[in-house]
Amino acid sequence: MESHAVEMARPMASRGAKILLIEDDVEACDEIGEDLRGRGYAVDVAGTGTAGLTAARSGVFDLLIVDRMLPELDGLAVIEILRREQSRVPVLVLSALGAVDDRIVGLKSGGDDYLTKPFALGELAARIEALLRRPVETRSTVLRIGPLSLDLIERKAKRDGRTIELLPREFKLLEYLMRRPDQVVTRDMLLEDVWHYRFLPQTNLVDVHVGKLRRKIDAPGETPLLRGVRGAGFILVSGTGESVPGAQNIKS
Amino acid sequence: MLGQSVRAPDILRTPAFRIAGISVAILLIGILLLFAFIYWETAIYETGEMDRFLERQIGAMAQSDPVNLVNSVTQRQPTSGTAYAALFDAARQPVAGNLASFPASLAIDGRAHAASIGVDRQVRAAAAILPDGRILVIARDVSELSQLQQVVLRALVLGVFPALALALAAGALLSWRAVRRVRTVQRAVARILDGNLSERLPTRGTVDDFDRLALAVNRMLDEIVRLLDEIKGVGDNIAHDLRTPLTRMRARLERGRESARSQEALEEAVGNAIGALDQSLGIITALLRITELEDGRRRAAFREVELSRIVRDVAELYEPIAEAARVTLAMQARQPCVIQGDRELLFEAVANVVDNAIKFAPPDSTVEIAVIDGEAGSIVRVVDHGPGIPPDQREAVLKRFYRGDKSRHMPGSGLGLGIVNAIVNLHHFRIAIGDAAPGCVFDLICAPISEERSTVK
Repeated sequence: MESHAVEMARPMASRGAKILLIEDDVEACDEIGEDLRGRGYAVDVAGTGTAGLTAARSGVFDLLIVDRMLPELDGLAVIEILRREQSRVPVLVLSALGAVDDRIVGLKSGGDDYLTKPFALGELAARIEALLRRPVETRSTVLRIGPLSLDLIERKAKRDGRTIELLPREFKLLEYLMRRPDQVVTRDMLLEDVWHYRFLPQTNLVDVHVGKLRRKIDAPGETPLLRGVRGAGFILVSGTGESVPGAQNIKS
Repeated sequence: MLGQSVRAPDILRTPAFRIAGISVAILLIGILLLFAFIYWETAIYETGEMDRFLERQIGAMAQSDPVNLVNSVTQRQPTSGTAYAALFDAARQPVAGNLASFPASLAIDGRAHAASIGVDRQVRAAAAILPDGRILVIARDVSELSQLQQVVLRALVLGVFPALALALAAGALLSWRAVRRVRTVQRAVARILDGNLSERLPTRGTVDDFDRLALAVNRMLDEIVRLLDEIKGVGDNIAHDLRTPLTRMRARLERGRESARSQEALEEAVGNAIGALDQSLGIITALLRITELEDGRRRAAFREVELSRIVRDVAELYEPIAEAARVTLAMQARQPCVIQGDRELLFEAVANVVDNAIKFAPPDSTVEIAVIDGEAGSIVRVVDHGPGIPPDQREAVLKRFYRGDKSRHMPGSGLGLGIVNAIVNLHHFRIAIGDAAPGCVFDLICAPISEERSTVK
């Protein structure tokens, strides 16, 4: 799949979003914090569960990143307390525990997403964006992104009037991408959300599927809309220009 | 304690000796009862019979004619050395018969009593007064009886005590042998604990309890050795499989630092290094996954699942991958087929098998996927026409980290079939690998094998 155009598309983060990172490993904090600031977020750090809980209660954060193993008060307890206090802030759980059960426990206690260490920073960023931007919900039965349109009733896709023949799986994949325009989606996100599989494929399954869809969407000579993002995943851009606008651009 | 000779107190404490002791006691009681019977039969019963005879006899004689009586007393005389009859006058002086004197202290009441005649002759005797005042005495010798009693007593002494001694000796011998075998086993165990894992408990080739126990322990030791070897193999493999990407990564980073002339070149070096790192992390993740599966707790979450549906989903998911590899996926799953299992895990298992088949299938060939009815139950069969797996390697491919020489260059953690095997074991299913000439037939036999067989395996 390396032969496909891989562009350094780095969409702008949800502008100025404030993130609280509750993590006791100082080095990990520095790395994550630095990366997220580089992506345009404002990041505050808390080193213990109690400090994190106090900071989170101020209510100024748009998103929490919570490590499971924390001194004083463990991560899941922090989330449970916040949820009991009716806080609806999105929470991303980080953990070194990767078993299926651990993940279920993490999500049950009130986390919105769960990421197992070690993870790629691109994966973290993509998931943060996914939590900050809710997928596009539209009353219209047709999704439109740039030259692309997807008729949810007729199950038909078009690009500038050219009909694109899609298999059912490809249709689902395109719908998922079109509800998240200009947002990086990772291979793991696609595997979990589109295919609902939670296993480790031994092949670059997702790349092959996305590649197939890309060849249908982006005919030779057309501006590529579905692009690869190195070290992260894929992005469906809404503009046809080379620049990737951060604002959502949906005409519905 | 180990290595010492067997000591007497140890023998006395063994169960075998205790059993021997109990047997001896029972034997003793039996013998005593037997002798009591013999004694009663001879001394009591026979004496009683004789007494009744004497009493009847003396009663009859006392009423007979006095003249005849003298005759019969006199006639009796030579008939038997054991029979005595005599008449005494009122002064207890002998009148007729074969008794020289009236037996001392014999009561004259017509009943039989023990008495002695002469120096030491033991008799049973009865005396009665006749109407004319004379006294009639008759007696029978009992020395035969007392001799018989003595024979019996001698037999008791000569027979019982050697028997007892023999029983105790047998008990002691058995105990000694038992203790000696326990000692041998203890010494063998001590050597095993010292780290000599090739050591086995000695057996005699018989089918006694000791041998069966020893054989069971030996089988357990074989299994432990096998597991240890496997762990060691896994350790070696982890080291090898992690070292390969890590070495590559190190080389790339070093070269990037030394010789990258541009930003792009440096970025490429770092990118490649991250790729190698991801591969290493993938191996660790897959290993943890296998460990998680081997835990067995997931069995609680088994539901009814539709096998054909799972297989169709896998085929759909892998269709583009096959297409990219110029391989045709042929799918054959007719009627619904419901089994007990974990849907996600079975999907993962079938997906890994199909993944593997596509990887090894040559371009322009077909990978066939089918759900068929086997003898034992439903079978998911995946057939490719790649190089196949030699019969001697078919078991090895299911182990963690195994990679055929032909697959060293293939991407992947090398743990795909290891995960399949873990999932299959969790379900108590079975895998059979065959030859498609050329190629490989991979069967997932989805019928739970019995608990016993799966543990013996």
